[in-house]
Amino acid sequence: MTYPIERIRNFCIVAHVDHGKSTLADRMLQITELVDPRKMRAQYLDKMDIERERGITIKAQTARIPYEPEGRGSGGPEYLLNLIDTPGHVDFSYEVSRALNACEGAILLVDAAQGMQAQTIANLYLALEADLEIIPVLNKIDLPAARPDEVAREMTSIIGGEPSDVLRISAKTGEGVKEVLDAIVEKVPAPRTNVDGPPRALIFDSVYDAYRGALVYFRVIDGTFHPGDKIHMRATGYENEIDDLAVHSPEETPIRELGPGEVGMLSAAIKEVSQAKVGDTITLAGKGAKDVPMLPGYREPLAMVYSGLYPVDSDDFPVLRDALEKLQLNDASFTFEPETSVALGFGFRCGFLGLLHLEIITERLDREFNIPLVTSAPSVRYHVVLEAKGDDGEHLTMEVSNPQDLPEPNRILRVEEPTVKAMIVTPNDYVGPVMQLCEGRRGQMVAMDYLTEERVEMRYILPLAEIITDFFDQLKSMTRGYASLDYERSDYLESDLVKVDVLLNKEPVDAFSAIVHRDRAYEYGKTMVERLKELIPRQMFDIPIQAAIGAKVIARETIKAKRKDVLAKCYGGDVSRKRKLLEKQKEGKKKMKAVGSVEVPQEAFVAALKTGAVRQD
Amino acid sequence: MSTPDAPPTSRWLGHGSERWLDDPVESGPAAGFGVYLHVPFCAHRCGYCDFATWDDKAGWMHRYVAAVHADIARTVAGGRRAVAPASAELDDHWPEVTSIFVGGGTPTLLPPDDLAGLVERVVAELDLAGDAEVTVECNPETASVALFERLVAAGVTRVSMGAQSFAPHVLATLERQHGPERPVAAVAEARAAGIGSINLDLIYGTPGERDEDWAETLRRVVAVGTDHVSAYALTIHDNTPFGSAVRDGTMPAPDEDLQADRFDVADDVLGAAGFQHYEVSNWARSPALRSDHNLLYWRHGDYLAFGVGAHAHVAGRRWWSHRSIPRYVTAIEDGGSPVAMDEVLSEAERAEERLMLGLRVREGLHPHDVPPLDAEALEDAMRLGLVTTSCGRLQATARGWFLLDEAVRRLM
Repeated sequence: MTYPIERIRNFCIVAHVDHGKSTLADRMLQITELVDPRKMRAQYLDKMDIERERGITIKAQTARIPYEPEGRGSGGPEYLLNLIDTPGHVDFSYEVSRALNACEGAILLVDAAQGMQAQTIANLYLALEADLEIIPVLNKIDLPAARPDEVAREMTSIIGGEPSDVLRISAKTGEGVKEVLDAIVEKVPAPRTNVDGPPRALIFDSVYDAYRGALVYFRVIDGTFHPGDKIHMRATGYENEIDDLAVHSPEETPIRELGPGEVGMLSAAIKEVSQAKVGDTITLAGKGAKDVPMLPGYREPLAMVYSGLYPVDSDDFPVLRDALEKLQLNDASFTFEPETSVALGFGFRCGFLGLLHLEIITERLDREFNIPLVTSAPSVRYHVVLEAKGDDGEHLTMEVSNPQDLPEPNRILRVEEPTVKAMIVTPNDYVGPVMQLCEGRRGQMVAMDYLTEERVEMRYILPLAEIITDFFDQLKSMTRGYASLDYERSDYLESDLVKVDVLLNKEPVDAFSAIVHRDRAYEYGKTMVERLKELIPRQMFDIPIQAAIGAKVIARETIKAKRKDVLAKCYGGDVSRKRKLLEKQKEGKKKMKAVGSVEVPQEAFVAALKTGAVRQD
Repeated sequence: MSTPDAPPTSRWLGHGSERWLDDPVESGPAAGFGVYLHVPFCAHRCGYCDFATWDDKAGWMHRYVAAVHADIARTVAGGRRAVAPASAELDDHWPEVTSIFVGGGTPTLLPPDDLAGLVERVVAELDLAGDAEVTVECNPETASVALFERLVAAGVTRVSMGAQSFAPHVLATLERQHGPERPVAAVAEARAAGIGSINLDLIYGTPGERDEDWAETLRRVVAVGTDHVSAYALTIHDNTPFGSAVRDGTMPAPDEDLQADRFDVADDVLGAAGFQHYEVSNWARSPALRSDHNLLYWRHGDYLAFGVGAHAHVAGRRWWSHRSIPRYVTAIEDGGSPVAMDEVLSEAERAEERLMLGLRVREGLHPHDVPPLDAEALEDAMRLGLVTTSCGRLQATARGWFLLDEAVRRLM
């Protein structure tokens, strides 16, 4: 059925991971009896295994929730609540911003024990920029550690209003959830529409379906869309007829039309998700389609972090290419191009939105395509200004994301690196250590504000390269897990950067090369050689491991040749077990990468290049 | 140890080393036919031991011995075809027994007549070759001239005793119940009783063992005048008290470099005393004094095995009995089979086993036993000084001996 626009409420939930967003969504589905109790499961809307295992949302989901507030008489569901469930992680902040733009209201959901986190504040700012009505909600008020009054003050210090206006609920028990639904009806404005304008809809996500092509999630801004309508994508120019038009309630349900303010999904034989880009505007094809104004805020996905992906077994190279192509059908925001590494063979340099995005893609390659991978150290894209000048008399510049591609120092005039504006929210007690950490990572403080007497918001300009090493781990450990971090891209700034090479048995292993600040070069080199000494098993000869800047060795360790690798006793009862053990070890050996004459276990690459656990949401 | 580039055979040209050129022994039936008997009782279970043995099951001794007798009688009566793989095309007759080995545990915890009776049972059921080697493992504590005389009467020709170390503090760490003098006396008692061939077991690389402890141990073992020495690098097994101690950090894991040093010292000292190193952990005063029974294992020969957890092998089929005394005994008492599991080895698996076992022995693999090898892998293993070939044989080098797993993984 269609709803009059004044009865539609589009909302999302802004929350930190584990603050109860999925539980609240589950409870809403239950209270409104949308999901058969027998089919109910936790994290109902998150469909991917990775999402369910990690408790995060990667792809947006929607739920169409008919709701009749109590005391408004009967006569069937009166209001249509559209929940747009979005990812919350910094890597996906563009996707989040588009989803927020598809809503008129946002529930600000905060754990009453943990308080506001940087990620939440950042997304809250996005929601405020999008002019959304914010409904503040405190969750987990039944926890013994809850400090609702204090956290409520934190919330109102940013959004205004009185702490007493903050709703207090337990999504787990369902207490107060009905009041949240009522508040959505009361406070969130109905969608606005331009009745005279051409039909327009905003794409806030798209996923790939092997049978139907890209499934496009969108919000109708103006006009009405029907199955069979020929649509036109403004940014990509893609045109085709709508095959399926559907809503999720919460299972996919076909629908005859979607009018202004409504949220739904369409398929139109779109072969790749890159033809239906997040933020693009859908209109009807035909004369004048190209003149329909695009909805504001569209941009191309921007890679922040780069990494080389190499198959452990070089025979898997074509398989990896196929897999990356398939994943790209599903995720237009990562890029890849072939590259070659002396140490690792043929692989791909891939660009990602961030570290979580990198981890998700590599995990999916492993899980869905079963390709064992070696991943090179994540790097950023540097701007290198060369001594050489072009015809116009200007210095030539190049972009470098692979340390191998950095020219010889004498050819470089200067190197600029990307920076980010970072926001850290921490309890007062840890301001000192956080400052120390940020300064150690070449951070420049921009501002420091007290959210309450206890909690501080600190803003820094930091080199992106510093963030994608173990920054978040360090931040977490020095604040006992209490600090949170968010960041957004900022300017390129000149920096004193050098390339550190790591040599195994005198041969440089390009996969371990890194571009680092000169002051951090020794630390990087020392850490790498020490890690590798631990990770590479002893072999038949001594293996020197060196870190060097150009020809200058800055750190060195030696893996001594192994001298014993034999079972002392091997009699009748040992033979079978021993044979099986050797067979297993032989299999394991196949998974080693030969770097020159040195055998390096895949885990050694992974572990040596590990920059610390990737933070989530 | 010699450097990898030095011809590894050069140091072998001592006495007896010509034997492998003109008297190579092929794997399989040509290697002989053995019988292993397992006695799973100990007065104390040492912290490093992962063998099938118990120090709290002495009450089962009588029934256990009876069960082993029954096991021997039934297996022999069943004929050879019943235990060989169907594809082996063997006749039903048992070959002449060339070696018997009674191991444990502590076989000498059994009453002497029971222990001798087990050997006598085998001799009664099967034909024993005239020059058969019959070994019994003896604990020095339980040894006596009377015991050895009883064993000699049963046909025992060789005893193997656990000395482990001549340093009292190392013995204490190993939880051995005897002092350093007892094995010396036991050797003399065995000699007096007419035991022809005597082995002492040693363990090196025990936490707390010093260079001088090992030197003294070697000096004493040479002075005692044994015919054979087995010296084992201490191995930590997960499911032992030592394994837990290493996991918990209360005991340091053995240092493999140190064990390699100790091995070098052992090889030097024993070599100088006239012992020939003929297997990873074994030295003999002459080729004739090597352990025939153990050579049978390394030559992938055929052997029967009786008692808990004992592994038998005939023509590519291996089987082993229950490891638990009650299960083994009751299975036999109930007229059933004590076999826990068996496996029929594929040709490839047999080849792998011949490789991994054959390379343990000084002479290496008989030309007929050398499997088709990947030329590149072989060249690599030779270049690294792990193996060498000579007269069609494939052998570990002096360096390769202590890196045998590496060599085998490269070649298999």
